[in-house]
Amino acid sequence: MLEKLKTLISENLEINTDNVTESSSFKEDLGIDSLDLFELVMAMEEEFDIEIPSDDLENMSTVGDVIEYIESHK
Amino acid sequence: MKTKVSSLLGITYPIIQGGMAWVAEYHLAAAVSEAGGLGLIGAASAPAEWVRDQIREAKKLTSKPFGVNIMLMSPYADEVAKIIVEENVKVVTTGAGSPEKYMKMWKEAGIKVIPVVASVALAKRMERSGADALVAEGCEAGGHIGESTTMALVPQVVDAVQIPVIAAGGIADGRGIAAAFMLGAQGVQMGTHFVVTDECQVHENYKERIIKAKDIDSRVTGRTTGHPVRALRNDMTKQYIELENKGAGFEELEQLTLGGLRRAVVEGDMKTGSVMAGQIAGMVKERMSCKALIEKLVSETDALMKGMKGYE
Repeated sequence: MLEKLKTLISENLEINTDNVTESSSFKEDLGIDSLDLFELVMAMEEEFDIEIPSDDLENMSTVGDVIEYIESHK
Repeated sequence: MKTKVSSLLGITYPIIQGGMAWVAEYHLAAAVSEAGGLGLIGAASAPAEWVRDQIREAKKLTSKPFGVNIMLMSPYADEVAKIIVEENVKVVTTGAGSPEKYMKMWKEAGIKVIPVVASVALAKRMERSGADALVAEGCEAGGHIGESTTMALVPQVVDAVQIPVIAAGGIADGRGIAAAFMLGAQGVQMGTHFVVTDECQVHENYKERIIKAKDIDSRVTGRTTGHPVRALRNDMTKQYIELENKGAGFEELEQLTLGGLRRAVVEGDMKTGSVMAGQIAGMVKERMSCKALIEKLVSETDALMKGMKGYE
């Protein structure tokens, strides 16, 4: 799952994801702003065939948060 | 100038006056609506009861449609969202986030929801959530901005969605409106020019500063904080950008802009306030009533659009 997410991040945001782990935070570690986050969310929704309401998005600040969410909503 | 947007909103001209914080209050909004456009009351971070008062006062001045712009990062957003329903406001525009959680409540009340977006991904998400139209705002605009220009953003958003798109950012005359139509928009939203209208209640200094502004007078602060803002250059923007270049952190930078918009718009502090305005400020040279402005915009656009038959 982490690898899939890393691929999505690097493909959609052109970021080097070699050092990305579950504890990487979107804002501080990856430097992603709110527009980029929406790009990523759309890509994740397509890839995992789920919908992520923006209320739930507010609670996701690390890569690990996202993985947890996707696993519990598959 | 009949388009899908004018019929969607029940207005004569698809010209929206942006819901600018501290600027868009009931006098301005009502005057724009009376003149055939759509006025907006900017809720910004104001308490919900202020918004309620503004709506009631606007209704005393006009029976034509007007809307409220809700700033989703406001601590009062939940209450403002409810008041929009309670006070029977028929149009809401949204900024600073995604209005998904209010969509059901608003749609059930028959309200037209028009999110302001700065990217194709957000545009698609908003359409999926039930938005009736979108404002695609380019970074030429004043205030909080995205990455793309109006020229690049609008046609890409138009391609990505089925709902009508309203162009914003860098528009202050008929040429801008005609250009927006060419890019595929069905309406426009304007901010800067409406600030210098007679009915706009802001400080004299702010209006004068916009009138005097040249094309290259605006600066973008906050590119490093993830919250870019366009304002006319002054001591504050100079200092802010210097600090950003030195790698200053968010808290330090925020000291410069806390309360800055209010200082500029209400108190007329042009030196240290946030004098928000778009790149098009350089074109804005004349004060007039909202009625005169809208008539000017419409006749200029008509002349251009109707004069196109001779193209070879």
